Amino acid sequence: MTDTVQAGRRKFFDLARPSRQHLLGYILIAPAVLMVAAIIIWPLVLAIDLSFQQVKIPRLGGASRPFSVSNYTWLFSSEEFWLACWVTLKLVVVVTAGSVAVGLSTALLANNRFKGRTIARLGMALPWAVPEIIAVVIFAWMFDTSFGLFGWLAIQLGFTGQMIPWVSSSTAAFWAVAITMVWKGFPFVSIMCLAGLQSIPSDYYAAAKVDGANVWQRFRWITMPLLMPVLGVTLVLTLLWVFRDFSIIKVLTGGGPLRSTQTLSIMTYDQAFQYHNFGRAAAVGVLTLVICIVASLLMLGRRSKSIY
Amino acid sequence: MNKRMKRLALGAATAALMTMGSFAPAMADTVLKFISWQTDDAGTGEWWRSAIAEFEKQHPGVKIEFTKAERSSYADTMTTLFAANQPPQIVHLASFEFQMFADSGWLEPLDPWLKKDGIDMTGWAGQQKCEWNGETVCIMTNYFGFVMAYNKKILDAAGVAVPKTYEEFLAAAKATTKDLNGDGIIDQFGTGHETKGGPGQYLTEMLNYIIDAKAYWTDKDGNITIDTPEMVEGLTRWKTVMKSGVSPVDMSASDVRKLFADGKMAMRLDGPWLYGTTEKGSAKSDIVYAAPPLTPPLGGSSNVLAMPSDIPDDQKQLVWDFIKLTMTPEFQRSYATMGGNTPPSPKADVSGVEKTIPHFPILIQTMKEAAAAGIDRVPTGLELFYNEFSKMVMEETQRMIIQDLDPADVAKTMQAKAESIKG
Repeated sequence: MTDTVQAGRRKFFDLARPSRQHLLGYILIAPAVLMVAAIIIWPLVLAIDLSFQQVKIPRLGGASRPFSVSNYTWLFSSEEFWLACWVTLKLVVVVTAGSVAVGLSTALLANNRFKGRTIARLGMALPWAVPEIIAVVIFAWMFDTSFGLFGWLAIQLGFTGQMIPWVSSSTAAFWAVAITMVWKGFPFVSIMCLAGLQSIPSDYYAAAKVDGANVWQRFRWITMPLLMPVLGVTLVLTLLWVFRDFSIIKVLTGGGPLRSTQTLSIMTYDQAFQYHNFGRAAAVGVLTLVICIVASLLMLGRRSKSIY
Repeated sequence: MNKRMKRLALGAATAALMTMGSFAPAMADTVLKFISWQTDDAGTGEWWRSAIAEFEKQHPGVKIEFTKAERSSYADTMTTLFAANQPPQIVHLASFEFQMFADSGWLEPLDPWLKKDGIDMTGWAGQQKCEWNGETVCIMTNYFGFVMAYNKKILDAAGVAVPKTYEEFLAAAKATTKDLNGDGIIDQFGTGHETKGGPGQYLTEMLNYIIDAKAYWTDKDGNITIDTPEMVEGLTRWKTVMKSGVSPVDMSASDVRKLFADGKMAMRLDGPWLYGTTEKGSAKSDIVYAAPPLTPPLGGSSNVLAMPSDIPDDQKQLVWDFIKLTMTPEFQRSYATMGGNTPPSPKADVSGVEKTIPHFPILIQTMKEAAAAGIDRVPTGLELFYNEFSKMVMEETQRMIIQDLDPADVAKTMQAKAESIKG
């Protein structure tokens, strides 16, 4: 009898049996799932909970405040929030478009055969390899209003007679941030596009050439349609990166002047650590998350049609 | 299989025993955490270390873990530590940021500790700023007055005398701002103001001109006093200085100080801490310290020491012992001799400090003048909203400069917004 029970238990825990293989899978991924839950889901739940409380500085394990929607009421009636949304949208459009334009162009260039192609590809990926904070500090020096390289170049090339106030002019500050972000972001687009380009069979181009298609026609009717699946995912990832990026803006302009570079992520930080309004900061963070999810779903939902 | 498991278990047990063994002596000590942004400051950092060494000598088995957090992210770090229930036992904060912690009830009231040891705080510079809701929640560590440092060689070359008034200061700054090599880029500035260090620092720089125009943000009862003719004059002066190009723009404090220390700037209005930078600069021999031409001198409380309210009582006693040690006449004297700072204690003997720091009497003089005039960077009644208030003032001032607005209109806007912030 005992032997029968033991055999039954052994059978139940026999993870090699085909009917138990899914169990083994769950056991193997359990530590990772628990870890993700601990470091992502739990803080997310805390943030959502916090956004419905009127709290200045919360304390871990402290008593909760009563449920309130005042943070969201304040947010939707706040001029600052809508301005931050507008700045974020502008930055997302400009930086994503810029990164895709530069990234795709460099990928097309690096996809050709020429002398020094390996070095060119390495150079192309270099900005991506440089840690973000180091890249931003270097750009901050180059955009320095008093002694910066870009101002000096503008004078030498005759574009202006004096140094450009990159960080104390609303328009210039926005472009300083956008240029830095494009420089940091284009290599990712470039690498992804290059991988996509290399997966396009060369036969298609050869056949198109035989049919008399010129360069533009080959790009328009072969390269772009076949690159769209890769480009779509890349666009979403770039968009999310611009949405959540904090360090570039914080180091270069701090969100100023006159909030011309204050995005939702900078606003979240300011509400939490400058004004000590953690409830409001959590509300901005939660709304940013919702916007990101909606934008990603919209973009990923548009599956590119394959024409071949 | 069994053998291998046994070996593994034995190995793990040995490793665990050895690890625990190496931790044992460390666990025997009481460790007090002390986070500061001043660990590497020339002079001041050494002074803190000397106080720690003396404390550890007096308290065998107790160690102070002295860790640096950058000033730029200091408030964030402390907020996070307090929010996570992990505050350092020795709390070091800037005088414009402790109020939020005190208001949350996280700082221990120090009156019973002062009373128990019979410490009289009468005459302790800036100590009244440490009172929150009628209780003493901190000890003022530093109270300072601004001085003017100037480069004698540059002023002499421009044929300009050392300025004594705002008008002379502006004229001297204009006369010494030059493009020396003719490449279209200014490479020698008349003066320098930090405008990139955040709203609090921006307000400090502006305040030099505003208090010289006899204006201030609030009165002693906490009423907003921005929409006044004096404030309009102060804002006009700041706008004039910033628009005339006599100061580099968008620079951090350390960059501005470095430019001055290396002989690329004629005059700099700053606190006692400038001396550490000028001593290391290439123009060290040309730099002279004097009383500032803008009066009363800008000054006020700088930083405070406190203790968290929810640490165990035995730790509170140790923290209090450390705070008390820094308040002794000996350490107040070495705060001057070693750190080059103006000690807040009225009992501090600062005689002979001028032998090592020649301009020390000027530092004492400006500190006393600032204290007598009741000058402080944190406006009464706006302590809890200082960050929000300073950001508003910085933005409206930037708008005034960028969009060339009338200072009178800007003062009206600031008044309305400040009243709204105060609620």
